[in-house]
Amino acid sequence: MKSALVSGPQRRLLVGIAAILAFVAFDGAVQALLAQTPFGGPRPAPEPQVGGIVGWLLARQSEFYLEISSTIRRAKSDGSAVWTLLAISFAYGVFHAAGPGHGKAVISSYLVANQETARRGIALSFASALLQALVAIAIVGIGAFLLNVTAKTMCGAERAIEIASYGLIAAFGARLVWTKGGGFIKALQAAPVGAVAVAGHSHDHGHHHHHDHGAGAHHHDHDHVHDEHCGHSHGPEPGELAGPGGWRRGLAAVLTVGVRPCSGAILVLVFALAQGLFWAGIAATLLMGVGTAITVATIAVIAVSAKDLAARLSRGREGSGALIMRGIEFAAAGLVLLLGAGLLFGYVAAERATCL
Amino acid sequence: MSRILRRLTAPLLLLGTLMLASGAANAHPHVWITATSELVYAADGSLTGVRHAWTFDDMFAAYALQGIETKTKGVYTREELAPLAQTNAESLKEYAYFTFARADGKKEKFVDPVDYYLDYKDTHLTLHFTLPLKAPVKPKQLMLEVFDASFFIDFAFADKDPVTLVGAPASCAMKFQRPNDGTANAQKLGEQMFASSDGSNYGAMFANKITVDCP
Repeated sequence: MKSALVSGPQRRLLVGIAAILAFVAFDGAVQALLAQTPFGGPRPAPEPQVGGIVGWLLARQSEFYLEISSTIRRAKSDGSAVWTLLAISFAYGVFHAAGPGHGKAVISSYLVANQETARRGIALSFASALLQALVAIAIVGIGAFLLNVTAKTMCGAERAIEIASYGLIAAFGARLVWTKGGGFIKALQAAPVGAVAVAGHSHDHGHHHHHDHGAGAHHHDHDHVHDEHCGHSHGPEPGELAGPGGWRRGLAAVLTVGVRPCSGAILVLVFALAQGLFWAGIAATLLMGVGTAITVATIAVIAVSAKDLAARLSRGREGSGALIMRGIEFAAAGLVLLLGAGLLFGYVAAERATCL
Repeated sequence: MSRILRRLTAPLLLLGTLMLASGAANAHPHVWITATSELVYAADGSLTGVRHAWTFDDMFAAYALQGIETKTKGVYTREELAPLAQTNAESLKEYAYFTFARADGKKEKFVDPVDYYLDYKDTHLTLHFTLPLKAPVKPKQLMLEVFDASFFIDFAFADKDPVTLVGAPASCAMKFQRPNDGTANAQKLGEQMFASSDGSNYGAMFANKITVDCP
């Protein structure tokens, strides 16, 4: 085996960083569930504060959000205020999406779990953000504009959609785990052989130790895993899941993320309707969606790039390289499942009070 | 090999920063309340409860008023708003009415609100309600905080007469402390949150603190 690309300790550092990222993403999403909505309003998405930049982001968001209502009011008499409204809505979308937890996490994790391209990541981000805007418009359009229901009823609909959306994320994650688990187990089975044959004792101690730890731990229940794997019906190969033609799978990601509307958008829409400028609210919501999509797409592209780099890095190692990649994919799939389950569970626990 | 490591670490760290930011930037209020509160005392000088008047921002007011039938368009009578007031009063229970009292350091509980109603004047929707203490208290020092721990609601007390004491003994002195400006707070707040990694009490930073000393 030629020179190792990274030594054991270095790799462990990277694995550590990746683990922290996964935890932070999950933690952020769970935090979002801790608060509920009083007065029968839409659900909030509160999260911990982290730093000065974030404090600044937060202040901008509040500002933009408050400006939306005053601009809509102004647009009643001054048509040119509509342009201001669109600009503010777009900016709000960009800043806000630097925030709303689970959508980004699901899309990024999905992209990492599958061999997806950055371009597809961008497309999925835009599709889900657009869907999100359309759902908000549909809820208010049908609920408030056509049927003139109360906020209580509308919020109930929102809540139902929300529960469904979390269930979808959990189901989507479960499917990813199921399919990615197959590839991971395969890689696990292949890894010890490959590692022993290729690496032998030529590796430095640090790496050897690390490798032994990873492979050895799984080696323990290797036989069980094998049995289990054979007992179950086989999931698709990682190769089958990757690449083009996966638009149906992509659609699942878009649906799971996009079906849940943004509560801010709903407030803006209802307010615009009350001001007799529903169309302005719709335009604002769509622009918010575009802003959101840009931020989510940026993060998705970064996630894909990080994985590509990890792939390049692990290419030097035959068996263990594949194991790392399958492991990353499996972890990303697991993240989606945990996220969905967490959202669902947290939500159910908080359900009683949310909106009445 | 360290070059490759560095190349991989940079995007990972960037991703991490973005995710951290994403976890945090989300918290911004969707409802703004301008509040005035009265602390109500009994004849014997004990505090019996708190009377709040909370005026909502116009965006949330429009949302809350959506679908409410009125005789005259744009005019909402107290009777027409009664069902909504009831909903609010009931929903607020889950949040402990965002009102937290301590009598000489000991937490005091409130019971269900009474005398609650909504009024709508000059496009302002205001929720009035009285929160009786479970048992009247007569502490040397009373602390009352009004805030939303999740910071979904931004509580700001009115500029004029934010807090008044009703029927309090003459010897009692009231101090009212507004939360610091949100942006200025963010830094300090960030450190605290980072240390505890628990955002559930995030909004406490934005608490409005009322202190009444009755020596």
